[in-house]
Amino acid sequence: MPQKLLEISKVGKSYGNSVILSDANLVINEGEFIALVGMSGGGKSTLLRMLAGLEETSAGSIIQDGNKIHGLNKEARVMFQEDRLLPWMNVIDNVLLDKKGKQAVSEATELLEQVELEQYAKQFPSQLSGGQRQRVALARALMSHPRLLLLDEPLGALDALTRTKMQDLIRKVCQDKAITTFLVTHDINEAVRMADRIAIIKNGTIWRIVDNPYRGKESLIDKEKEVEISEEILAEILD
Amino acid sequence: MENIETNENYHFSFKFKNSLPWLIPVFLIVFWQVACNLSWVNETLLPSPIDVVTNGIKLFKKGELQENMSISLYRATAGLLIGGGLGFILGFINGVSRRARLLFDSTIQMLRNIPHLALIPLIILWLGIGESAKISLVALGCLFPMYINTYHGITSVDPKLIEMGKSYELSKKDLFIKVIFPGALPTILMGVRYALGVMWTTLIVAETISASSGIGYMSTNAEQFMDMKTIVLCILIYALLGKLSDFIAKNLEDIFLEWRAIERRNTDASETSGDK
Amino acid sequence: MKNLKKSFIAILLLFWCGIAVYGWHLTREDAGSSSLKNVVLGYQAGDEFYISKIRGQFVKKMKAKGYNVKFKEFQNGAAMMQALASGNVDYARVGDTPPVSALASGTKLTYVAAGGTKAKGSGILIHKNSSIKTLADLKGKKVAYTKGTSSQYMLLRALKVAGLSNDDITWVNLDSDAASVAYSKGKVDAWANWDPSVAQVEITENSKLLVDGTTTKALNRSFIVSPTTYASKNKTLSKLIIKYTEQDMKWANKNHSKLIKKMSADLKLSKKVVRRSVTRRTFSMKAMSKSVVKEEQEIANVFYDNNILTKKIDVSKHVQYLK
Repeated sequence: MPQKLLEISKVGKSYGNSVILSDANLVINEGEFIALVGMSGGGKSTLLRMLAGLEETSAGSIIQDGNKIHGLNKEARVMFQEDRLLPWMNVIDNVLLDKKGKQAVSEATELLEQVELEQYAKQFPSQLSGGQRQRVALARALMSHPRLLLLDEPLGALDALTRTKMQDLIRKVCQDKAITTFLVTHDINEAVRMADRIAIIKNGTIWRIVDNPYRGKESLIDKEKEVEISEEILAEILD
Repeated sequence: MENIETNENYHFSFKFKNSLPWLIPVFLIVFWQVACNLSWVNETLLPSPIDVVTNGIKLFKKGELQENMSISLYRATAGLLIGGGLGFILGFINGVSRRARLLFDSTIQMLRNIPHLALIPLIILWLGIGESAKISLVALGCLFPMYINTYHGITSVDPKLIEMGKSYELSKKDLFIKVIFPGALPTILMGVRYALGVMWTTLIVAETISASSGIGYMSTNAEQFMDMKTIVLCILIYALLGKLSDFIAKNLEDIFLEWRAIERRNTDASETSGDK
Repeated sequence: MKNLKKSFIAILLLFWCGIAVYGWHLTREDAGSSSLKNVVLGYQAGDEFYISKIRGQFVKKMKAKGYNVKFKEFQNGAAMMQALASGNVDYARVGDTPPVSALASGTKLTYVAAGGTKAKGSGILIHKNSSIKTLADLKGKKVAYTKGTSSQYMLLRALKVAGLSNDDITWVNLDSDAASVAYSKGKVDAWANWDPSVAQVEITENSKLLVDGTTTKALNRSFIVSPTTYASKNKTLSKLIIKYTEQDMKWANKNHSKLIKKMSADLKLSKKVVRRSVTRRTFSMKAMSKSVVKEEQEIANVFYDNNILTKKIDVSKHVQYLK
């Protein structure tokens, strides 16, 4: 039986009269990779921001380790859609951010090796490509050893080839470190390629959760099954 | 051999490029000298550059020139530091605190629209005619450009970066040092550059009010006796000092904003490669 | 390359700061030593205090008596009166007109001493080839003057002598710099002015005085004035200043050639100009007397009658007779 990390129960969010999300329920287990898919403007990012504590819930509660999330969720780190790297700092300083000391520097270097950017450590973000910048952002997020990694469509702006490479890289790094990961995406194929379970957001709530048994611990992907599940989810959303 | 030649070519074009901005000033001075030599202009109204320079050397030997220059430089620097520092602090406080902004900003905007030179009579009556009056006037001139640029720089830092910093648990101090300040720095340095310009113009006026030293005094004193050589010399000194401070400001930008230069170079490069 | 630039700018900034600190030192030196009592004297180039300043004896003698003298130069009397009102000048050497205007605007000042006149060096300048031959020819002409200075009084007196009314000429109020340009370009027909400027214009602009102060009785006398409260507390000091200035004046009257040499080098005026302005006046500095008070009262009256001053002034109430 997997350990429960976080429980979203009856969560709602509204701005004035417009309701974005209502009665959303989801349990996220320790170490799993879960994706949230749905149409644009369906409240996916809003839910992620509530998990990060960047926004408060209007109704219901998000419980993490028995505590209701209120204010910044210190055990979570967000990778935003834009890389949000500080343009005035070189790559390694961006990864380090406020951390100091030899230990931190060697750790940051190690992370850069894992995202295959060790030779770019002294360059500025503007000298890197979009995919490289997102890899730096990933290293920065991992630098603080989060228990929960929140990915807010981080690959949305990348070209298809870079995207596939990044999906595998992120999946691998998160799996190696056994970090619980929550991915928000509008790309069903991406969700199927990366996540253990896929939550579908529809009509302003979490509509259904689909298991993705062909991803996960096994490294082999059953292409046919993948397509099958993708089509199933797509049908579900469009229904 | 070929290699060396191309190298020289490169050097030549490099130097030529560097000297281009000086082309017009040099041409003007040469033209001016020729005009004087050929008596196209009345030398009592416009002395020739050589006369001006010899006059400068004479005043330098007497010690007058360098004394007045260093006194002017002292007044300018003290005014800039006081006014610029105050402007920075006010701009910073109003930039980060909404409450302070509500309290101070509209008052400052009102005061800003008073031409600071219009305050000369008040300053004379309050502070007299000593050093403090002149320095205050320069400080007043430098305060507003620094205030506006600091305030504007801080309030226009990308809120997404600030959100990132907050969600990555940066302390207030780190958030300022690593995100807000460097983000506002380009605009702040623009303010410094502008304040440097205002500094000189204000100082000229400040030194005409009953000073007994400084470049501005030298020039008004000369004006009284129609000593055109000294007047022109003072104007040239102002031009050079203005150029020098602008040069320093520009280089400070290059040093502190290296990342921006690299960014610009990269976007230029990607644009040209995109055209191909 | 980049480090080179960094160190270059750093050196430049250090150099800048070094010079600025040196400048600061220079302004501190002016402040003088602390055990002595500071006295600030306001002067204008070429006047009595100016002579004391360039001769150098005055400062030494005052130092021996326990005073640290600071000279402050002003471009005109009005600015000096402003500084006097705000307590930045203890004694001001001015012409006869600015103190009257200052009294009318409420400045509390006291006449401490009276000097010689510049009657022969003050007047109305015209070009030698000008169509103006007599005072009466001024009718319908443009005449430059500076408001609140002796030139205004000069012009009023001249018109009275000529039997003209104030509306018979066009009054052009310009400060001396602007007036000098306007006059040399012929934008004005005549210019009421005083020495050394008159001497300079006479020589360089081929001009002469249509009338001078001896005719118009606009004498352009020198005065030393002081803030009233300061003057009443420092009578001994005032007496010292009169005494030592008078000594310098005697020296000046006897040593024209030395004085002319010094002044022309310092003021950057030709010796010819300085000689003319120096030889046509007599330097002196004495305590106030009833007759000079009467002269001042006349100025106040004329200004009041011509609506230049809105207040009637009794000069005798603002005088200290030091004996």
